[in-house]
Amino acid sequence: MKLTKDQLKKLGLSTVGFVFLLYVYFTFFLGPLNRSRDVALAKINDRQRKLDNSKEEMAKAAKLEQNAKAATTRFGALRAVNAEGAPIAWFPPRMKAFFANEQIDKAVARLEGNTALKPEELSGWLRYNWIIDLPQADYGTLGRAIADLENSEPLLCVTRMSIHASPDAPQFQHVELAAANLIEKK
Amino acid sequence: MALHLNLLHEQILEQRQRQRDPLKIGMLVLIGCGTVMFLYYSWNAYRTLEIKSRLNAIERNWAKIDPKVTTAQKRVSELQGIVKTTRTLDDYIDGRFFWAPFLQKVARCVAPNAQLTSFEGSVFEEKKGVSVTLEGIAAGREPRAAAEDLRQLLLEQLGQSYSEVKVEFKSLEDLDTMATLGGTHMPTARYTLAINFNPAPAPKPTPATTPTRQKKRSDT
Repeated sequence: MKLTKDQLKKLGLSTVGFVFLLYVYFTFFLGPLNRSRDVALAKINDRQRKLDNSKEEMAKAAKLEQNAKAATTRFGALRAVNAEGAPIAWFPPRMKAFFANEQIDKAVARLEGNTALKPEELSGWLRYNWIIDLPQADYGTLGRAIADLENSEPLLCVTRMSIHASPDAPQFQHVELAAANLIEKK
Repeated sequence: MALHLNLLHEQILEQRQRQRDPLKIGMLVLIGCGTVMFLYYSWNAYRTLEIKSRLNAIERNWAKIDPKVTTAQKRVSELQGIVKTTRTLDDYIDGRFFWAPFLQKVARCVAPNAQLTSFEGSVFEEKKGVSVTLEGIAAGREPRAAAEDLRQLLLEQLGQSYSEVKVEFKSLEDLDTMATLGGTHMPTARYTLAINFNPAPAPKPTPATTPTRQKKRSDT
């Protein structure tokens, strides 16, 4: 079958129309629709993953809450060891009262300074260095007092101790303690 | 044979030409394709709407759970921090050097004829060691021997609780002054003792059988 010139023109026109139809269909209809569906599917996957993770996360939190009960209680107890407020306001009177209770009078505690602690876990804590001066103590009483101090103040560590015989009162010794105390930053 | 004449051949030809019009056929094909594509688009649109409604449901769920999850995550990190801090604090507490038992040991070692006049002790946290300097006056017929007895006793007693114990004389000198002990005048000597030790207890020796067994196993 031989096509006439007019028929060829019409055939070409039809082909152009078809190509245009395909272009419009894929560019303005099916393409955006598919894209929006893909985006929605990706969001669903993402949210679903987050939901699954969140269930795990919440179960983990509940489990950790149970497991960490002892640690939480202990942490609370350790925090409660130190009083509220500036350490310089409460530590010296506490030491004075403590040693007076141990039959050692005239105890004086002086603050030497404070430093940050190296471990990352203790970034919220400071190390306070104190000098505790006991001008009138006898060795036996001092030993018992230090034992009580070490047991009752878990965050306090005696780093240096100096005991000298008092020339004026031979029954007493002059004692100087350097102590470091961990106190939470507030 | 009958003669067959087609008098309408021109009309028939025109009709055939109209039927074979490429534009008309093309239009029909276009309409057909368009219909198929519209149907396909509608199907896709329906699926997309369904997916979007699923997404909305999940979003609503997430909006409900999200604050709880955020709170749980915060609590987890807080608890982990508490656990770590408590562990570190416990390590610090357990790692302290306790002076009271040490003072008790020193008190038990000092005999009445070896009086202490000065005590200086320091804890070296980085080296994990303790250094103590004791000064005193020993009296007796042999005051140096009395001081040496004190040194030996300290070495023995401290060695039971601590490791790497060293007790050494920094100085030991005779004095001209005499001391009265039990009504008797005795010569005296001034001593300075340097004590160094690691507060950790000495490791217990492993049983001798264990290495032999291991050796046998490795031999076989």
